[in-house]
Amino acid sequence: VLSDEEKRKQYDAYGEEGLKDGHQSSHGDIFSHFFGDFGFMFGGNPRQQDRNIPRGSDIIVDLEVTLEEVYSGNFVEVVRNKPVARQAPGKRKCNCRQEMRTTQLGPGRFQMTQEVVCDECPNVKLVNEERTLEVEIEPGVRDGMEYPFIGEGEPHVDGEPGDLRFRIKVLKHPVFERRGDDLYTNVTISLVEALTGFEMDISHLDGHKVHVARDKITKPGAKLWKKGEGLPNFDNNNIKGSLIITFDVEFPKEQLTPEQREGECSELPRAGKNLAQLIQGL
Amino acid sequence: RRAGSHGGSPSAGSGQQSVTGVSAADDGNSYWQVRGRTAAVCQRGTPVRCGQAIRLTHLGTGRNLHSHRFTSPLSGNQEVSAFGEAGEGDYLDDWTVVCSGMYWVRDDEVRFQHTSTDVFLSVTGEQYGRPINGQKEVHGMATSSQNNYWKVMEGIFMQPSEAFKAERYHAEL
Repeated sequence: VLSDEEKRKQYDAYGEEGLKDGHQSSHGDIFSHFFGDFGFMFGGNPRQQDRNIPRGSDIIVDLEVTLEEVYSGNFVEVVRNKPVARQAPGKRKCNCRQEMRTTQLGPGRFQMTQEVVCDECPNVKLVNEERTLEVEIEPGVRDGMEYPFIGEGEPHVDGEPGDLRFRIKVLKHPVFERRGDDLYTNVTISLVEALTGFEMDISHLDGHKVHVARDKITKPGAKLWKKGEGLPNFDNNNIKGSLIITFDVEFPKEQLTPEQREGECSELPRAGKNLAQLIQGL
Repeated sequence: RRAGSHGGSPSAGSGQQSVTGVSAADDGNSYWQVRGRTAAVCQRGTPVRCGQAIRLTHLGTGRNLHSHRFTSPLSGNQEVSAFGEAGEGDYLDDWTVVCSGMYWVRDDEVRFQHTSTDVFLSVTGEQYGRPINGQKEVHGMATSSQNNYWKVMEGIFMQPSEAFKAERYHAEL
């Protein structure tokens, strides 16, 4: 039962009893409860519109995720300890409501009064129960997306429990900045590298290396576009955004001495010779 | 008693959002999220050490459990309120977890000592009148007593991260 998704939802909402009451053949009540469960992106909750079954409150928890988890996905194990309504001996008053009662005082004279009327229900008590839930962080998930767990919210003695919803909160990353499916990062290169070119590897979120090679002059603020090295798209993990690398050039901190000024100029032709060798090597 | 908050302010005191004790186990307003101290980054699943400072953020209103040098309206102790926006307040939101052993174990009774003023989070039974009839005052007390002890009941608990599990395993070897 627990491995079949449809049956699992039913078990979660109604316990073992729910499985016996016409499971796959969606009849009346049970079907309307699942109407809102197809796709968890719906803003509203259709279940609140049907009848007036009292419902416990929803619990919304921020789930912080790292950019690494957004890239590769992850499973988070969570233990839910919650009060559950369990049968207790005796009866209790339930579904109390105000009703208008008409009493006849005499011929043609009536009085309307308000009365509190209750039903009698089996007694319930709240017992703390625990269960492990697993939240899947899907690759490409965005800030604010929610993963609901039906019935895992607050209980209601006269009705149904509310839902538990995990709301994704993507943490800031020290190296990469996310914009949609694209990733932005800054790399600092030396003045010599900016003039003569360079080669480097950037470590990506899952550890794989992105190779960057330049043989032209790189100006400060220059951007390099690496297609397919961004984040996977949530709706289609096979499509990835781009990685945009912005280069910052580090200038010497102190002023050049007169000797260095001479040396700098004479070093450039040598650098040019090395560059030619580099290109030949490629 | 479960500590809850409802977004209202009592007429006396500092006027900040009130924090009260309620008996009901099914009050959705009693959830507080354990987070790192102000300005700290706390990784999901990291166990809380005894002696570590944390913040308790109210789930419904995004305000932090807070205390300051104001007198509480009913008992004359130090006022405890809910402060801040979207989980960010100030350093008076920090509380040190006082417990024995190395980590805050879920079933243990622990105490929360206000990091800045050293008072302990307590409930001694004074009750509010309207509009929050029967709810008890939660305040800070300088003296330790059995009224300072708190235990986690209902909640959503993140399992320790894989890295921590590995660390525990090695320690036991």
